[in-house]
Amino acid sequence: MQNEGQIKIKKRNISSVIIDGFIWLFLIGMAIFILAPLVFMFTASLMPASDVMKMPFPWIPKGIYWQNYWHGLRGNDGSFIYIRNILNSFIVAGSVTVTTVILSAITGFGLAKYHFWGKNVVFMMIMATFMIPFEAIMIPLYLVITKIGLQDSYQGLIIPFLVNAFGIFLMRQYYITFPDEILDAARIDGASEMMIFRTIIVPNSIPAMASLAVLTFKSQWDNLLWPLLIIQSEEMKTIPQYIVKFISEKHTDEGALMAVASIASIPILILFVRLSKYFMGGAALFSSRKG
Amino acid sequence: MKLSLLKPGIEQKKARWGLIFIIPSIIFFSLFSFYPIFTAFYTSFFNKKLLSLKPPDFIGLQNYTYLLKSPDFWNSMRATAVFTIGTFIPIVILSLILANFIISRKRFQWFFQMAYYSPAVLSSVVVAVIWLLIFDPRGLGNQFLNFILNTPGVDHKFLANSVMVQISTMVVYGWKYLGYFTIIFIVGLTTIPQSTHEAALIDGASKWQDFLYITLPLLKPTTVLVSIMSMLQCLKTFSTQYLFTQGGAPMAPINVITLNIYHTAIRDHRIGRASAMSIILFFIMLIFTWLQFRVSHSEEVSY
Repeated sequence: MQNEGQIKIKKRNISSVIIDGFIWLFLIGMAIFILAPLVFMFTASLMPASDVMKMPFPWIPKGIYWQNYWHGLRGNDGSFIYIRNILNSFIVAGSVTVTTVILSAITGFGLAKYHFWGKNVVFMMIMATFMIPFEAIMIPLYLVITKIGLQDSYQGLIIPFLVNAFGIFLMRQYYITFPDEILDAARIDGASEMMIFRTIIVPNSIPAMASLAVLTFKSQWDNLLWPLLIIQSEEMKTIPQYIVKFISEKHTDEGALMAVASIASIPILILFVRLSKYFMGGAALFSSRKG
Repeated sequence: MKLSLLKPGIEQKKARWGLIFIIPSIIFFSLFSFYPIFTAFYTSFFNKKLLSLKPPDFIGLQNYTYLLKSPDFWNSMRATAVFTIGTFIPIVILSLILANFIISRKRFQWFFQMAYYSPAVLSSVVVAVIWLLIFDPRGLGNQFLNFILNTPGVDHKFLANSVMVQISTMVVYGWKYLGYFTIIFIVGLTTIPQSTHEAALIDGASKWQDFLYITLPLLKPTTVLVSIMSMLQCLKTFSTQYLFTQGGAPMAPINVITLNIYHTAIRDHRIGRASAMSIILFFIMLIFTWLQFRVSHSEEVSY
């Protein structure tokens, strides 16, 4: 075809080759800028502190200095509290993920497929919580949690995040296009509403639930502000708090600090590589949200 | 109606189940979203103090008038505004460029997406400590900048100088979230039908014209969404600034509003004043969220 030929000729001229080269260079340069600090973290975690702060930085470690990881896990006082803190992070992020996914699915299903008085008001109410940033309500929440005696406990860390408007909205959007005929057929066959949810709805929304799960897990794994407010005891702290403590206590041992950071990152990075589809999918879902 | 086939009363039974399905969430939001925001509003009119045995006094708008006269509060507003503007504009522009560049490649698309996204999965605290070491006087930051500028041995004071420390927090935040917004742009770009681009190219448009007159206008909803989402996120920033001050950076230049709320409540025990600040933050974010909803409603594009 003549038009195709024209495009091909255009592509071959010199200026477009230069532009093409520039784009590659830019993309690779940005990839280096983005990945270098990550590589730095892992290589520095395998070096003694004296090498980490050497100028210029030796990118390839001479040997593997495992003592950093040992020191990071052991802590400055030899209490191995970091292991407990890691466990806490898993417990909190895991519980919040489970409750968020279940409650979002069930509420989203209720809002998408049932008609009852006041439904639209309820939906608007839930959407309104979108507009309440956690940072604006953290102080009263803190007062509530301390008043009912849940400071320094798993319940205190978990309860304020049981479900969120974004999750409900996401699941509702997913269910709204689900064919009613299938649900009605199940009803005629005598299935209860709960059974319909368990045996038809849940198995059909695994991808959306998985995306919501990784997003929730990630944001809880990252949570610093809330634990800072309500956790005082060492054994109830989470990973971000341990790192804060490690910095303020022992700022000089950079190798061990990077080992601590690496330990905190490895689980989430493994999760990211294994489930990257759902991480990216989550970002995409966010962008498709329309009130 | 198709449901008329079923037994009478089934609609009512269904309605009851619908309510049962949503009740747990309603209770949750009432207790942990609405109740706290009303309490915050209420408390902001009292001189409530943490650990004080005296019942708090009603002081009307005094917390707000105090804040409006307080240089410390205005410094926080300035720090937050500078950080937000200095972070979200470069993020939007750079991620738009990166997304277009990635989309234009035939190979390694997935590699670039994974590489750029990876910092977004790390916890903010980890990100902050990595960059604390990079910004150390002996760290990679100085080595890299001195190599580029050919100024061996100069310390650029990433964490000590009051201007540099603000730029440093922006770099850290941008580094973390650039890939995340790039992915959103890529999703937006892939929804533009390939045939639209082909039609433009066949009509003799250059790649640049195609970008300027086809891609950019059709991508406007995504651009608006990314702008407002990143802006809202920047307004709430906490971890980077907190970690930097813990790592020895000066507080004043990066004392963003959330950091100030935290310190006012936990260090100074002034719950009433912290609540007033929370309410101000809430209204600022409310305006931007409202803007986002309006825009995402009005900007439906058809091809």
